[in-house]
Amino acid sequence: MINYKRFSLENGLRVLVHEDKSTPLVAMNLLYNVGSRDENPEMTGLAHLFEHLMFGGSLNIPDYDTPLQLVGGENNAFTSNDITNYYLTIPAENIETGFWLESDRMLELDFSQKNLDTQKNVVIEEFNQRFINQPYGEALLKLKPLAYKIHPYRWPTIGMDITHIESTDLEQVKSFFFSHYAPNNAILALTGNIEYELAFKLSQKWFGSIEKRKIQSRNLPVEPEQTEERIMTIEKDVPSTALYKAWHIGPRNSMDFYTLDLITDLLAGGESGRLYTKLVREKKLFSEINAYITADLDPGLIIIQGKLMKNIDIQYAEESVNLVINDLQNGNNMKDEMEKVKNKFESSTVFSNTSILNKAANLSFFELLGNPGLINTEADAYRSVTQEMVIEATRKFIIPSNCSTLNYLSTRKE
Amino acid sequence: MNNLQRIQPPVFPVDKVNIPEANSFRLNNGVPVYTIEAGTEDIMRLEFTFRAGQVKEHLPLLASTCNLMLSEGSQNFSSEELNRSLDYYGVFLNQSAEKDSAGIVLFFLSKHIEKVLELSREILFRPVFPEPELNALMKKRLRWYLVNREKVQNLATDQFFESVFGKNHPYGYQVIDRDFENLTQALLIDFHLKYYTPENMAIIISGKIHGKTAELLNSYFENMVPKGINYKDYTTLPEGEKLKKVHLNKPGTVQSAVKIGSPTINKRHSDYPGLKILNSVLGGYFGSRLMKNIREEKGYTYGISSSVSSLELSGYKVISTEVGIKNCQKSIDEIYKEIKLLQSVPVKKEEMAVVRNYMSGEMLRMFDGPFALAESFRSAWEFGLDNNYYYRLAEKIKTIDPDEIIELARTYYNIDDLYEVTVGAE
Repeated sequence: MINYKRFSLENGLRVLVHEDKSTPLVAMNLLYNVGSRDENPEMTGLAHLFEHLMFGGSLNIPDYDTPLQLVGGENNAFTSNDITNYYLTIPAENIETGFWLESDRMLELDFSQKNLDTQKNVVIEEFNQRFINQPYGEALLKLKPLAYKIHPYRWPTIGMDITHIESTDLEQVKSFFFSHYAPNNAILALTGNIEYELAFKLSQKWFGSIEKRKIQSRNLPVEPEQTEERIMTIEKDVPSTALYKAWHIGPRNSMDFYTLDLITDLLAGGESGRLYTKLVREKKLFSEINAYITADLDPGLIIIQGKLMKNIDIQYAEESVNLVINDLQNGNNMKDEMEKVKNKFESSTVFSNTSILNKAANLSFFELLGNPGLINTEADAYRSVTQEMVIEATRKFIIPSNCSTLNYLSTRKE
Repeated sequence: MNNLQRIQPPVFPVDKVNIPEANSFRLNNGVPVYTIEAGTEDIMRLEFTFRAGQVKEHLPLLASTCNLMLSEGSQNFSSEELNRSLDYYGVFLNQSAEKDSAGIVLFFLSKHIEKVLELSREILFRPVFPEPELNALMKKRLRWYLVNREKVQNLATDQFFESVFGKNHPYGYQVIDRDFENLTQALLIDFHLKYYTPENMAIIISGKIHGKTAELLNSYFENMVPKGINYKDYTTLPEGEKLKKVHLNKPGTVQSAVKIGSPTINKRHSDYPGLKILNSVLGGYFGSRLMKNIREEKGYTYGISSSVSSLELSGYKVISTEVGIKNCQKSIDEIYKEIKLLQSVPVKKEEMAVVRNYMSGEMLRMFDGPFALAESFRSAWEFGLDNNYYYRLAEKIKTIDPDEIIELARTYYNIDDLYEVTVGAE
């Protein structure tokens, strides 16, 4: 049971606090309700580039990292389709430094041309390192726009085109900041060795005077229902052929989310998952296979991806994947299997809550979902999924007309 | 509120690091057990570690394959049954074979201790290494290997170890396609018999430790009787290759991987804590000189770092990065420039303060929670050291002076001793 308290400042900043005296540290997580889905399609990658700029100095503090390191802190950040999340851990006695730093960069950034130019280069190198210079690195860059035709999830957080990053200018950066970075668009979580009263006092002291800002309203295009299967085939000089399949699912805030997440575990959770057992262990068609859902707030995807063994025909491999799914739809008795994946969720939940950083990130994210209590009750949501729900969700979502398939063919001769 | 002073940070000194001591006892058959009580949740981390790493193997892939095959079928359970059981009880199993040691780590809810011990005994001491599973595993591993060999970073790592530790030493040799065809059931059984033994083994437990743990460990493992045979350890010391500079051409890549480093002292050496600090200044954290210069100043890379690692028979330090092809040589020049600076110009007081405090905070993180505690314990214990090693490090972080940093940089980063490996398109 994770106990927490919650309050809001007058400027709209929401704060959650969980006390854990077993650690000498405090974790601080600051979530901004802005992600790559909020970008202009002509200017993608800005949310993530902006995350980089957040370390280049703020109104009163020329450099973010040094003062934090000077008090034994460590930090990082990530950008997703939906959020930009900044986090740090720091020795408890120095937590005020965390407040000082985070509040100043919420107040206003030091928008410098030099910093923007450098970080554009860094982000381009990141793009190359993660996507271009990796075998199969482009797969998701191809799969997403196949599945999404109009919703912003069709581009990756790093941006759909490197030229978007290259052409970003300081004015766009500034306007992005003032329309998304604000106390009324953020959630602060503090976990670890900090008392509620102190957290309240410091939040008020450092964030209380930052004024509310007008947040750009979010009118995202709704992705139209997919009605027929989409297939794309590309050829690449990679060692093995790979198969990627994606189906549209519902939003994060629906019960289907838990059912589908559980389905990915039935399919590929651990080595006893069905896809692994049938297709890796028994039929020896794949060297590896995985299934997961994108945990996006708007309707996301359930994705199955695998790399084929040598000389295996991709059509046969795909048919075999479909057979495993059909099996799930036909719904033979899976009582033990259901129990197994639920136990695994229970276990992962407990493990995830051993780290103060995870607890802070989870509390912030669940607050964004509208219910921080989920940190304690999500395991029950998984528990309540029945075999009937699994069958129903499989029949509803994991069907050919809702599927986008990417065949990533190896041209290599061995 | 308007008078809020936002210019100066509210700084307080970092408290002294407090490291809980591990308790130790022996099973009835002599196997040492270390326990560290920690954490707030009812979970445990259980590690079985053996001197059964690559250094013991006479054929490439033998140690890692033996380790991976442990869960592929035992006297009482098929591979599928073992995996299903582990998943059913929500157990996370990590198998690994490193350069010196190998073993398994299990993470689980404390209430499942008995089941976990039963499965561990099957995995560790009753594996049967079935041929069909072995063949399937080797075919899969070959596919993984081929994919990994597409990544410049992996090619550079493999080449780096070969250069630094030599083509003929298990620390250094590179795996080739053919190695995946050479292993047999008999070889694995033999390796397992020799090295997965009570006399080669230790158990490290942390978390909210179930009250009956000692009793249960004895009931599951006391029958494993040491045979009293000690296989001669591989003690041939690694020897680096003559060629200091190696470039591998990888057509079509947009970035090159760079590795610069050399063999070095390990944790047992009294200079090691100082070397760790020097490493931090150079490339050990986000505010390090390499990061500041090559990423934050020039934007040549997404990341650059340096590290120092200990091995039983040696140690190594390495600087790693991936940079755009056109900036590769410029980055290498900057790396050497930074090393030379550390050898000649004393680190200023302000920078020393940042490094000292950052590392003090890092030490708190190293002992925060049951998992971190177990890992930190293990990494000292493996070298016959205890918490005094960490207290010495903490003390050195506070007291080291800039002259000592210069001295260490001159001794351990002699440019002529450094190997330089680059992989990328020409």
